[in-house]
Amino acid sequence: MRPDRAPSDAELLAAVAEGDSDAFGALYDQHAPWLLVRLRRRTADSDAADQVAQETFLVVWRDAGRFRGQGAVGAWIWGIAIRRLVDLQRGRVAQERLAGLLGRRRVSDVASAEEQALVRLEHREVIRALNRLSPELQAVLQATVLDGLSTREAAVLLGIPPGTVKTRAMRARAQLRQDLA
Amino acid sequence: MGGVDAAGAWHADGEVLGAYSDGRLDAAGRWSVEAHLTSCAACRLQARALVDPARLRRLRAALIEAVDVPRAGVVERLLVRLGVADHTVRVLAATPALRGSWLLAVATTLAFAVLAAWVSRGADATMWLLCVAPLLPLAGIAVAYGPGIDPTYEIGLAAPLGSFRLLLLRAATVLGTSTLLAAAASLMLPRLGWGAAGWLLPSLGLTACSLALATTIEPLRAFGITAGAWVVAVAVTVAPPPPSSVLFSAAGQVAFATLALLAAVVMMVRRGRFEADRGFDTTPRFAARRLR
Repeated sequence: MRPDRAPSDAELLAAVAEGDSDAFGALYDQHAPWLLVRLRRRTADSDAADQVAQETFLVVWRDAGRFRGQGAVGAWIWGIAIRRLVDLQRGRVAQERLAGLLGRRRVSDVASAEEQALVRLEHREVIRALNRLSPELQAVLQATVLDGLSTREAAVLLGIPPGTVKTRAMRARAQLRQDLA
Repeated sequence: MGGVDAAGAWHADGEVLGAYSDGRLDAAGRWSVEAHLTSCAACRLQARALVDPARLRRLRAALIEAVDVPRAGVVERLLVRLGVADHTVRVLAATPALRGSWLLAVATTLAFAVLAAWVSRGADATMWLLCVAPLLPLAGIAVAYGPGIDPTYEIGLAAPLGSFRLLLLRAATVLGTSTLLAAAASLMLPRLGWGAAGWLLPSLGLTACSLALATTIEPLRAFGITAGAWVVAVAVTVAPPPPSSVLFSAAGQVAFATLALLAAVVMMVRRGRFEADRGFDTTPRFAARRLR
């Protein structure tokens, strides 16, 4: 780490993987604020948001070595956080789940093409089309496209059956296609 | 919404972020901000203004505390996988003699003994290993338990786990590892035979003996006395030529097996003494020295 400039996220993460708790603190300072802000938009319960943020950073601490460097570190962290939120929603005991989760599942680095496109969402048509979707369809698109969740995970997060997630996602896409045609 | 910087890149300004945080943005705006935040460090820093600093500090403190707990090492994970209870594993893994430096020292000592055997290649080839091997677990257990050496000594005194049980646990661990290493060294001797395993029973006998002694006197002293007795016994009984010792003969081996059994009996009978001797009156001194 060169002292003359702030270390990048990837550098911080590499140091965290080595067990550097100072780097972990720095990574927290970088990412905790936006994570909490974004979680606020996913759950009204601020205690739940705190818990998810805490568990997310613990997973980051344990799994820092698993980040393969594809996509932004922020996207990787969000991928962990949204799944922690889903798990919390499932109502399982968080600590037990965490133990199992740490052992097996690798969180994919979510930096999809859709997301890249959304970063520069300047096209009037697209904006209007998106905003014309009903809140229900928007919520499904948000969970599946932006949060990168599977149908099943999105169903848990939104509190609707998986079948409904699928039909709503299809309807949302169809409507967008129609509006943009 | 947002703004374009000098380089032409889109950025979410404070106003947009505030609107996002309060849920005042439409879907397209929300999604733009979210996708942007994951990859833009500058905008992420702006998000800090939207979160209660006390909340950030509280979460940070809890996380740093959770993270400061040492990670489980290879040995610990292996023991847990083998089904040893969590708390026992922690106690065992804190054994000083399980640290890399100790294991390296044992391996080096054994390597020299084997090397000596290869260099001399005579009838006395195995003598070095036979004499040195029984001392290794003694030294290992001596440093594995006691004030000033064991990092968990004070914790151990206050723990519901009896100190004698702790000593035995540690002793078994050290004896196990040094025996494995010594066995590996024996296999590398130039002339393989049952004679090469002659250190095993003395090693067991000496360890048991010193543990039994430790119920009466300071553990450290007990190990020193036993080790000294072994060195003297070897020096006195080695009879050239060719160098051999009655200690490694069949009779000697039986004697050590008997010694081990006797010592085990003494240990079990006197273990109460060991606990009683380690009262709390001795701890503040050691604790104070450690905290300095």
